[in-house]
Parts: sequence; structure tokens; C-alpha cells
Amino acid sequence: MTDTLPLAEAKSLVARARAGDFAALERLYRTYERPVYTLARRLTKSAEDAEDVLQETFLEVCRSLRQWRAEGSLWGWIRTIAASKALMRYRREKLREWEPLEEELGGAGVGEDVPLRMDLEAALARLPERSRAVVWLHDVEGYTHEEIAELMGMTTSFSKSQLARAHERLRRWLGAGVEA
Amino acid sequence: MSEQRHGTGEELLALRDGEGSAWVREHVSACAVCAAELERLEQVRSQLRALPVFAPPRDRWPVIEQAARQERRRRRVSWSAGLVAAAAVVVLGFVVLRHSGPAPQDTALSQAMAESAAMEQVFRSLQPDERALTGKTAGVVVDLEDRLAQVDAALNDPAAQRADPGRVAELWKQRAGLLSALVDVHETRATYAGL
Repeated sequence: MTDTLPLAEAKSLVARARAGDFAALERLYRTYERPVYTLARRLTKSAEDAEDVLQETFLEVCRSLRQWRAEGSLWGWIRTIAASKALMRYRREKLREWEPLEEELGGAGVGEDVPLRMDLEAALARLPERSRAVVWLHDVEGYTHEEIAELMGMTTSFSKSQLARAHERLRRWLGAGVEA
Repeated sequence: MSEQRHGTGEELLALRDGEGSAWVREHVSACAVCAAELERLEQVRSQLRALPVFAPPRDRWPVIEQAARQERRRRRVSWSAGLVAAAAVVVLGFVVLRHSGPAPQDTALSQAMAESAAMEQVFRSLQPDERALTGKTAGVVVDLEDRLAQVDAALNDPAAQRADPGRVAELWKQRAGLLSALVDVHETRATYAGL
């Protein structure tokens, strides 16, 4: 999404929040709670995880308001905090969910029940967590592969290959067309 | 002679993102299969961006606000502890000065410290954390608090004070002035024209 808060208003709210005005902090929260929660839902496994990321993100925002460089987008700054918080959960949980390339691209695994045609929401949810994170950060949020690599602690080429693999899966699951 | 292969997923995605190689660009212009795949990739991206946003199932603001207020109170406590340390440095300075004979800045220093302590008491009594501020006033408060933090950092630097003992009284004067300005801002919400 683009920043819904004009820069002048963002600067004013941040200044008030830094001075301890909780009404201004709440206004910031209300402005960005849905985009942060949506991003967190796309990058985590469950609604509960996404709620935790939402809370952790805004507590970090409260602590770090002085670090926002007022010439940049406030949403861009908050979004990066949210993405970091969500992706940190992978590291904490030590998830190792990168499936072997060959069996993934060769078709459904043994015993895997895949409908002939899925809608986009279902297909996205079916992607492995990190693949989904790469797709979302790159295709929706507009992060570059370099930025994704830095956020995820991976290489740029790894981000590129993950994006290609994820799109290959989506192509198989969605069929020729796309249903939103 | 052109290569007899289609573009890979990575090559077509790079082209979609405006970073494709000259080969894939040329290839797609002549290959209906790859052109269709490129179109599909663009379509998927558009549809992803059009997916609806989620709303959190519960209002998390009360929890966040409570935690943020607690953190702020803890920071205030550690800030006060820093002031105690600064005062200790000054007391130590007094002892050194008294042992080395009377110094003209003694009176000025104790006066500035007393003014600062009195002004801080007034400021705390206003409960600044509980006050709603306009954007302009908040900017002034932030500016004053930043400058206050710089003064406190200087007061907590014993090496700098040993190098220039006369500066300590000046720092405490500045501190009293900044606290006085903060009191004015919180009391009157008046526009601050700068110290």
C-alpha cells in the first residue's frame, strides 16, 4: 500500500508521540494497524502470530520514534519494522521448511491432496511460509531482492530463485488464469 | 542464430520487474509462449496486490498503550538515576574545589543547581506524560527534551568537567532554563519561538 498519511501530518503526529502524547500514538496505531496486520498475516503461520507481530511492531515504534528520518515514508519505516518482527519468528522457531526443488516442481507429493484449480488466496496460503514471504514482500510490498535478502538473512540469488519457484507453484495450482 | 529455448521463470520475472537481459527481451518479443507467461506473471502480481486487507480480530491498542506507558515510566526512572549520577559528579567537584581553596564559581553553581531542582519539581507536578499536545507544541517539547538530554549527557561526563570545571555551573543554568521553558510550554501551550 502507499502511505495514507501525508508527510506533514506524519511528522506532527510523530513529534507529539515522542513528547508523550498517547492520543497521537493511538492515531498512528489506528492508521497503520490494518496494513501491519495484513503484512503480518502474509508473513506468518497464523492469525495469533500476526497479532503478536502487530503488538511487537507498535511497541518497537513507540521505542524508536526518534529514529524515523522524517524525510522518508512513515509507512515504509513501520513496514520494515513489522517485516523484521515477522521474519524474526522464523529464526526463533528455527523453521526449516524449504522443500527439495525437484519434488516440488515435479507435482504433488505422495498423499498430497491438491484441488485441480485453486483461487489465489488459497494458493498463496498453501505456499511454504518463506516462499510466501518472498512473493509478498517482492510482488506486493515492492521490496527489492537485495532488501529481502537482508531482511531474511539470505542471499539475493536465493530470493530470486524462491520467487521463481513460488510462481511456478502458483502457476500449477491456479491453472492458466487467475481467480482472485 | 537464436537460442532454441524458452525464458526461465527467473528470467521472465526479471523482465517483468524491468531488469531482464537483452536476450530475454528479444526472445519474448518473438515467442508467443514466453509472452503469454510474462503476461500471466504480471496478472498474478496485479491480483496479489488487489487481495483484501485483514482486520485484527481484537483491539490490541489497550495492551500496547499499557506496555508503552510502563516502558516510558521505566525510562523516566533511569533518567532520574542519571541525574543523581550527575549530581554526584558535581558534589565530587565541590570537594575537590574546596580542598584547593575558595572558587568564585561555587555560589553560581549551587544557585544554578537549586534553580534546576526547583524547576524540575514544578515540571514533574504538571504530569507531562498525561498531557495531549498539538503538533506544533509537541515539536517544541521534543526539541527542548532533546536539548535537555544533551545537557544531562554533558553533566554525566566527568572527564569533560575535569577539563573545564567552570562549565558545570553553565550547564546547570542551561538545564534550569530548559526545564523552565518546558514548564511554560506545558502550562500555556503557547507557541515557542526558540531559546
